Amino acid sequence: MNLFENIRLALEGLRANKMRALLTMLGIIIGIASVMAISTLGSAMTGSVSSTMDKIGGKNIMVSLTPKNYDTQSTLQPEDYITQEELDGFKETHADQIKAISLSTGMGSGQLNSGYIHKDVSITGASTDYSLVNNVNMVQGRFISNRDMESSRNVIIIDTTLRNKMVGINGDPIGMDVSVETKTTTETYTIIGVYEKLVIDNPLFNMGDDTRVECFIPITTAMSLNSGSAATPPGYENFTIMATADTDSASFAAITKDYFSKKMGALSDYTVDVQSMEAMVSEATTMLSTLSLGISVIAGISLLVGGIGVMNIMLVSVTERTKEIGIRKALGARNSAIRSQFIIEAIIICLIGGLIGVALGAGLGSLGSTLLKFPTTPPLVPMIIALCFSMAIGVFFGYYPANKAAKLNPIDALRYE
Amino acid sequence: MKGIVKTYYLGTPNELEILHGIDLDVYDGEFLSIVGASGSGKSTLMNILGALDRPTSGRFFLDHLPMEDVKDEGLSKIRNKKIGFVFQNFNLIPRSSALSNVALPMLYGGKSRSERNLRAKELLKLVGMEDRSHHRPNELSGGQKQRVAIARSMANDPAIILADEPTGALDTHTGRMVMDIFHRLHQEQGKTIILITHNNELALETQRTIKLLDGAIIENRMNGKNQLEGCYESF
Ligand SMILES: Nc1ncnc2c1ncn2[C@@H]1O[C@H](COP(=O)(O)OP(=O)(O)O)[C@@H](O)[C@H]1O
Ligand SMILES: [Mg+2]
Repeated sequence: MNLFENIRLALEGLRANKMRALLTMLGIIIGIASVMAISTLGSAMTGSVSSTMDKIGGKNIMVSLTPKNYDTQSTLQPEDYITQEELDGFKETHADQIKAISLSTGMGSGQLNSGYIHKDVSITGASTDYSLVNNVNMVQGRFISNRDMESSRNVIIIDTTLRNKMVGINGDPIGMDVSVETKTTTETYTIIGVYEKLVIDNPLFNMGDDTRVECFIPITTAMSLNSGSAATPPGYENFTIMATADTDSASFAAITKDYFSKKMGALSDYTVDVQSMEAMVSEATTMLSTLSLGISVIAGISLLVGGIGVMNIMLVSVTERTKEIGIRKALGARNSAIRSQFIIEAIIICLIGGLIGVALGAGLGSLGSTLLKFPTTPPLVPMIIALCFSMAIGVFFGYYPANKAAKLNPIDALRYE
Repeated sequence: MKGIVKTYYLGTPNELEILHGIDLDVYDGEFLSIVGASGSGKSTLMNILGALDRPTSGRFFLDHLPMEDVKDEGLSKIRNKKIGFVFQNFNLIPRSSALSNVALPMLYGGKSRSERNLRAKELLKLVGMEDRSHHRPNELSGGQKQRVAIARSMANDPAIILADEPTGALDTHTGRMVMDIFHRLHQEQGKTIILITHNNELALETQRTIKLLDGAIIENRMNGKNQLEGCYESF
C-alpha cells in the first residue's frame, strides 16, 4: 500500500469532515502556534540584542565609584578618585585584555550659540578613546586627540543635525567658533569634527528619549571648567574599558573590580562598581529564555491535549469505518496496510494542524516583534522542528487507534452496521 | 482448486455450534450453488471458504495447502490473489469512485497506479459499467453497484469467486443480468464460482447445488447432466 494513496485517502476523509477535522486540530494549532510565536519573538530579540551589542560595544566594561550607602551623605575624597597614573598602570598590567579605556564626564546641558542659531545641547567631556569604545561615527573632521587633552583645548565635536542646521548637509563647519553657555560658564569652542548620532532601535536598550544634541569636548577641558574655582579633581569617577575580542569580559570584570578595590581605603564611603555589557545582556537573555520555557510548558500541555483529541477522533473514525475496514480486509488488505492508513491519517491531521499553527505563530510572532520594533524574519529551524514534532504527535497518538483498526476481525467488521 | 476435504465446528464463546462437521469438495472450474434457510450457516461456511475466517476444528485445504498452517498475513494474500468476494449488500467503499473500488484489491496486491487504472477500466467494461467509472456508489442503482462489485472481485484475476446472495437485494431483471455475468465468467474465464442463493431457479442453473440445514449438508445434487463436463464427482 503506497504512501501517496494513503495521503490521498486521508485528505479525502478530512475533506468530508472539515469542521470536525479543524476542531480536532485546534489543540495542535494552539500548541504549535504559541511555540512558533515565542521562538519568532525570541529569535528577533536575541538577534536585535546581538546587533545592538555590536553597535554599542558588547565588550565594554563599565567601572564607576558608587556610594556604599545611599542613605548617608557620602562625598568622594580626593584619594578615592582613580588617577590617570592608576589607569595607565592597569592598562599596562593587562595590556593583552584591554583594547581601549574611555573616560567621560557629563557637564550637563547648556546652550550652543552660533550666529542666529541657539540650540540646547548636552556637553560631555570625553577622552581620546571615547570614540572607539562608544562607537562614535565621525563623518567630518576628527575626534579629540591626545594633544587636545594635554593642552585642555577649547575644541568641540558636534553632531550632524547641528551641522545641518548651521551650514547645511553639504556644508563644512570645521574651524568655526561657537559659544556654549552652561550654568556656570560661557566658553568659546572651535569645531573640529562632526559625528553621526547612533540610532539604537531596540526597546531593550532604551537610552531615554534625549532629543538634545550631545557635543563632546576634551575631558581635561571639562574637568577644569567643572571644578570652577576649586581645584581640579585628582582623577576620575568612572570610565569604560573596551576588552579585546577574545577576552572573557565577565571574568575580566572581576579582575578589574579586584584591581581597583584594593586602592579604595576601607574607610572610604565609596566602592568600585563594575558591570560588563555581556553580563547585562546575558541577564536579559536568561529572562527571555525563562519566559520561553514558561510558554513552552503551556504549549506542551496544549499539544498533549491536542494529541489526545486526535486520538479520540481517530478512535471515532475507526468505529465509524469498521465496515470499511472489514471490506478492505476482505479484499486482501494486510493488517499493516490498515494500520498505516490510519496512522497516516493521524499524521496528516497533525501536520495540517502544525502547518496552520506554524503560519499563525510565525505571523503573530512577527507582528509582535514588529510592534516591539525588533526586526524579524521567522526562524526556519524551529519551523521545521515544529512540523516534525506535530508529525510525531500524529504517530504517537495515532498508533493506538490505528492498531485497533488493524486488529479488527474481518468477519466482525463486515457484519458491523 | 482440487480436493478440499474439511470438517469443522464453529463455536462461539458460548459454544454455539453453527456448522456441525461439514465435508465438502469443490473442484477447479466448478459452478456450485449453496442453498438453505436463513441462518443455516451458509455465510459462515463461505467465510471459511474465503479465508476470512478459520474453522474451530476440522481441516480446510485450498489448492492442497492446509489453511491451518497459513498465518493471518498469508490469509490476506490468499484473499487478495485467489478469491473474489461478492456480497449481498455490495460492500463498496462509499467515498470512492467505482473505478477506485475496482482498483482497490490491486492496490493491496501492489500493482502500480497505471496498471490498476487500466485493468479497472477493462473490468468495468466487462460488466458494462465503463461509463460510470467516476460515480460513487450512492450515485448507482443496486444492479449497477453489484456489477461494480463483481468487477472488483475480478480485479486480481482470482481463481475463485464467492458470491453471498449477490441477487438478494436486486429485482428479478437486474438479478438476471448479474447471474448472466457469473455464467460468462464461468464459461469464458473458467472461474470457480460458489454462489449462495435463496432462489432455487438460479441454483438450478449451476452445475451442482448443496443444501444446508442447521449447519449440516442435507443434499448434494447435480443439476442437468448436460451441463456436466465430468471434471468433478459428488459425494
Ligand atoms: N459472530 C457470531 N456470533 C454468534 N452467532 C453468529 C455469529 N455469526 C453468525 N452467527 C449465527 O450463525 C448462524 C448462521 O449464520 P449465517 O452463516 O450468516 O447464516 P446464513 O448466511 O445461512 O443466513 C446464525 O444463526 C447466526 O445468528
Ligand atoms: Mg448469509
